[in-house]
Amino acid sequence: MTQKITRPEISPDVQMAWRNVWRNPRRTWLTVSAICFACIVLIFMLSFQFGSYETMINSSVKINTGHVQVQAEGYFEKRTMRRVIPDPGPVIKMIKGIEAVEAVTVRANAFSLVSSAGRTYGAMVIGIDPEREKDVSTLADLIRKGNFLPSEPVSVDVSGELSGESLEESSGALVGALLARNLNVAVGDELTLLGQGRDGSVAATIGRVCGIYESGIDEFDRNTLQITIQTFQSVYSMDDAVHEIVVNVRSLHEVGAVKKEIIRSLAVMPAGKDLVVMDWDELMPGLTQAILIDLTMGIIFWFLLVLVVAFSILNTFLMAVFERTREFGVMMAIGMSPNRLVKLLVYESGLMTLIGIGLGILIGCGITWIFQAYGIDMARSSEILAQYGISGRIYPQLSLITAFAGPLLVWVITIAVALYPAMKIRRLKPVEAMTHV
Amino acid sequence: MNRWVMLFVCCCGLCFVRSAAAETGMTTDARTIVNHAVEYLREDTSESLVHMTIHRPDWERTMTIQAWTKGKTDSLFRIEAPAKDKGNGTLKKGREMWIYNPKINRVIKLPPSMMSQSWQGSDFSNNDLAKSDTVIDDYTHELIGTETLDGKTVYVIRSVPKPDAPVVWGMLTLKIREDFMLLSEAFYDEDREPVKILTMEKIGMIGGKLYPTRWRMAKTDADPASGDEYTLINYETIQFNIDLPDHMFTISNLKNPGR
Repeated sequence: MTQKITRPEISPDVQMAWRNVWRNPRRTWLTVSAICFACIVLIFMLSFQFGSYETMINSSVKINTGHVQVQAEGYFEKRTMRRVIPDPGPVIKMIKGIEAVEAVTVRANAFSLVSSAGRTYGAMVIGIDPEREKDVSTLADLIRKGNFLPSEPVSVDVSGELSGESLEESSGALVGALLARNLNVAVGDELTLLGQGRDGSVAATIGRVCGIYESGIDEFDRNTLQITIQTFQSVYSMDDAVHEIVVNVRSLHEVGAVKKEIIRSLAVMPAGKDLVVMDWDELMPGLTQAILIDLTMGIIFWFLLVLVVAFSILNTFLMAVFERTREFGVMMAIGMSPNRLVKLLVYESGLMTLIGIGLGILIGCGITWIFQAYGIDMARSSEILAQYGISGRIYPQLSLITAFAGPLLVWVITIAVALYPAMKIRRLKPVEAMTHV
Repeated sequence: MNRWVMLFVCCCGLCFVRSAAAETGMTTDARTIVNHAVEYLREDTSESLVHMTIHRPDWERTMTIQAWTKGKTDSLFRIEAPAKDKGNGTLKKGREMWIYNPKINRVIKLPPSMMSQSWQGSDFSNNDLAKSDTVIDDYTHELIGTETLDGKTVYVIRSVPKPDAPVVWGMLTLKIREDFMLLSEAFYDEDREPVKILTMEKIGMIGGKLYPTRWRMAKTDADPASGDEYTLINYETIQFNIDLPDHMFTISNLKNPGR
């Protein structure tokens, strides 16, 4: 007896509900597993979705834009050669000083004619700094054939088939896989670039394909070609100017702060005149929209899922009540009030839901955590994903929201659903109920 | 009764034939004017030296270009100055274009997708060069009015592309003086919105005849706040109907001039 007093008081109704729950274990486990399964699916799906967004943003950012960019005012809209950052040195130095900044590099772009032996296409020629580009973008890892650009431009004799006497400098070029296929070139082949320099002069050079990259983003693989920034600057009469300073930040959450910091510092720098700072959201407006659309679709899907689960739970509860009509009749006959019976039934379903949700959260988080650690291989599985830059592995992101939002929804709906059969009991007549088989 | 019907049908038919004839007469007229104007500008052959000035709100650049034309379809352009670009050439034969760059010693054939890009950064597109002669046949020309300028009649002609013609513009309006001097040509997109306009700013005696010596191609949609965007072509010299060898308009000549 003394022991019982020290234990927290559990109401007899709850105790009775607990015993009732385990009186028919098979029925209980069926209900519990339905709830549990819904929770697992919701937790995993939500984590997976958030994980894929992060992957989407990061891989898009890493292939192309970086988290933050500094550009000359109006360059983003017009993309004209002349809108340059004339003196990027001090700006880079300032950005490197910001703590949350992981890497900085420069790029320059020019739309040019790219011509192989027999074919010509228009493409964006991008000048990159091979050393620093590695820290900012995944370009180096996307090389499928050949090698990344060497850090120092290499002099190669291409005079062989030329009429001339000259030993011309032929710089290396990285070519997008689709562009390479269109041009019908392989590693080691020669490409002619013909465009217009910053001063309006004719810019022309010969490049040798040293690597072919494949990002999975068709537009990028079809329309871009990369050469070293040094070659770019001399061919396109850029002097020291560049078009973009690309910044990578430690994590997505710090992008806003870094952007503000750069804007503040640029305002007081003479070199910062006419420069604008843009984050990935502004640089890729389509990406956020794609995420929002996908999230909306996801939410609709979850509600449908929960609705299906709700109906199956309703069915189980309802069957249980029908099965036990005789039992309820007896209870009422020996003096149990209908209200107390309703309370008992709500407790029962509450307990079952709790068990289901508890197990669901445990198993769901466990499964998600395993996938979070090892990733899910999505390579080549979907062209749609590839369009958004998701290639390789997706890592689900388990967080408080993803772990509890789904189960909470299940909890609310299950309790709401359980009220209906419980209320039916109120209309039971003891005598009729007792004769019910 | 039947006879009356027959007569009626015949009358109607006759009227129809007549009006159709009148209409074709009209369009042929406008077409003839355009044809004459193009012929007047190009003659059989020509050799000229022009200065092309590309003007942008914040910079300006002038090039000196030597140009040869033969008939309505063949042209060759070679940049003489500035020194940095000397020797760059463009060959146009029919609807095809090739570009030559001396620095890399390569000839590149322009792909169809690049035809709407600007030529040497100017307000002229590759298409303006490549399709300059197809105006006559690719469009249906209609005389929509006449104006009087310095006592001379000016025909205003509206040209709409034929249904299957491979053209870039949705509509052109040409102003041609009674002596078949082209005064201006306005280019419209598919929505009939003006895109750019070519104006002959100066007409003078050159190469033994009256000829537009200053051409100006201006974008109509240029932002007025940021200033004008236009390209000027000034003729320094031009000679007409000289003897041009056949190999003038070949890729080998584009590559190795004078050989």
